[in-house]
Amino acid sequence: MQEVAFFFGAFGALAGAIAVIRLRNPFYSVLALVIHLISLAGLFLLLQAEFVAAAQIVVYAGAVMVLYVFVAAYVGGVDEPFWEPIPGQRIIAPLLGGALFVELAIAILGTGLKDFASEGPSVELGFGSPAAIGELMLEKFLIAFEAASMLLLIAAVGAIVLAGRREGSD
Amino acid sequence: MTVDFNAPDIDYAAISPQIALMAGICAVLLVSVLGKATNRNLVTSTSLLGLGSALGLMIWQSDRNTDLVAGALRLDGLAASAAIICIGVAIYAALLGVGEPAFFENGQSRHGEFNALLLTSVLGMVQLASAQNLVALFIALELLSIPLYVMSGFARGRRESLESGLKYLIVGSLGSATVLYGSAFIYGGSGSTDFGAIAAALGDGGLASDPLIGIGIALLTVGLAFKVSIAPFHQWTPDVYQGAPTTVTGFMAVATKVAAFAVFVRLFEVALGPAASNWQPALAALAALSILVGNLGALGQSSLKRLLGWSGVAQGGYMLVGLLVASEVGVNALIFYLAGYALMNLAAFSVIAIRERESNLGDSLSAVEGLGGERPALAWALTISMLALAGLPGTVGFFGKLYLIEAAVDGEYTWLGIVIVIGSMISLGYYLRVIAAIWMRSAPDPASLATSALGPIDGGSPEGEREASGSRLLIVPLALVAAAAVFFGILPDPLVDFAKDAGRDLIATVK
Repeated sequence: MQEVAFFFGAFGALAGAIAVIRLRNPFYSVLALVIHLISLAGLFLLLQAEFVAAAQIVVYAGAVMVLYVFVAAYVGGVDEPFWEPIPGQRIIAPLLGGALFVELAIAILGTGLKDFASEGPSVELGFGSPAAIGELMLEKFLIAFEAASMLLLIAAVGAIVLAGRREGSD
Repeated sequence: MTVDFNAPDIDYAAISPQIALMAGICAVLLVSVLGKATNRNLVTSTSLLGLGSALGLMIWQSDRNTDLVAGALRLDGLAASAAIICIGVAIYAALLGVGEPAFFENGQSRHGEFNALLLTSVLGMVQLASAQNLVALFIALELLSIPLYVMSGFARGRRESLESGLKYLIVGSLGSATVLYGSAFIYGGSGSTDFGAIAAALGDGGLASDPLIGIGIALLTVGLAFKVSIAPFHQWTPDVYQGAPTTVTGFMAVATKVAAFAVFVRLFEVALGPAASNWQPALAALAALSILVGNLGALGQSSLKRLLGWSGVAQGGYMLVGLLVASEVGVNALIFYLAGYALMNLAAFSVIAIRERESNLGDSLSAVEGLGGERPALAWALTISMLALAGLPGTVGFFGKLYLIEAAVDGEYTWLGIVIVIGSMISLGYYLRVIAAIWMRSAPDPASLATSALGPIDGGSPEGEREASGSRLLIVPLALVAAAAVFFGILPDPLVDFAKDAGRDLIATVK
């Protein structure tokens, strides 16, 4: 059962990701991204990370994607060329991308980590539960957590700087 | 399910510089909203108050050597010295920003936004320099970068500035994503995000040469190389440096490098230290490539900001040598060089900024032609800065390179020491060209020197006329950094003392 669920999730995640970059209509790309994110949430569930899976659905597939849809609708259908417009990159980019893929494949297949071939590492009870995550945020990552809220504040300021109404202009 | 929650013991004295910066951000935002929007002096003073108190608190805490709040951050010599340089650079940038034409839009001052972004970026740098956990590292890296993307695109009436902001956003995000991907591999392999626990897994766990850790290290190297613009991950640098407002470029060129190198050195020497024999040759190749590419790329540049961008790529290569030898001498040489680099680059960027405001030649080389006869103070500052960047004796750059070469030889990378010397010789080709333009050419047509600093910004500003006089006040900090670049070139000992805690504390963590 777990294997079936895994392959559903993995296939959905990969197909969604490929569709995001291959579809030419930005609106469809956003919808493909939703499929990708929901599939990832499924994979998180398989790893018993319920909180992360729920956050993934609510925050990303829900809120962030709605924003994306609004932007795509607002900007409208900009038809991107199907192939890379810079001629030199048409050859180099796939070559480098392929090289990276090969490197990652070698690393993952060649690793000597014991847990790779088995059911995975054993973790303590409650690992990844909302309580454990909350504890991390309030204890070890207290300052990082506060910094993240500062980051949100300054991102709003930055958005106003870049996109705010120009005072004094007509 | 209940969890026994033990509130962490918070050492408020040790995190006081960060608290001061956070309070400063809030104060700047409130002052710019509640105060008169056009009062750039009030906003800048508030910002300087925040930065100044953070600097004071950091100096007060600089001899600490302790974990902060349950161990995600660490305050030690390395963190303190990097933070002191970054905050100092930000103070300089805040002063330089007072008269920055890009911070006016249709006559409205936007200094509140600039200073808030500046302080947030500095907060990210202070945290990054003390991060000893991959999660804390990533959040600090974003806290540093996101304000910088916005600051680069600050002059939204100018195409180049927007292009700079967009390019930096895309490349910077790619760099951050690469760091995150690498972190995931390291966490997957070692089972921990703490630098100490990673080192234990790599060393005692015998994972140092596992390919999964290897690819993690490679991705982390690439991501951080993007951030410090090491060749071949440097292509964005000249464009972003040129397009961003000069105040921002100066801050970005110096402070980002300092903070990113601080975490680079801590991550590689503490967490990935047991795998040193794997990453050292790769970093050595990157350093050599960066020195050559940066110096050769700078040769044909006619824009001073592009020239400094390329020179920054080469300087990044020199600094990487201090990192990759993985020794106390190397870390000390790196911090010494970073401090010197801050002095010489700030001098150069402020002369460019002042000339940009006085003439309408922008940052092109012709803007400084004949400066020797006309504005001797600016001419001397830029000359000292160029000589120091080239590493001539009598300037801080000379000792900086000397210590780096010493560290290279000490770490059995003598050939990299030779590459540094060759790079410095090539670099004379463009640094001396600037000096020749200052002293040996006559000033360009006076008509083009008319005060029209706000020409390229749409809308212009009624403040424009006051800018030329405002830039005269900048002579004081400019004279200070230029004098310091010479002073430490003759008597390097105070700066050596400043740098030496960094290496001692860091290497003590490794053992």
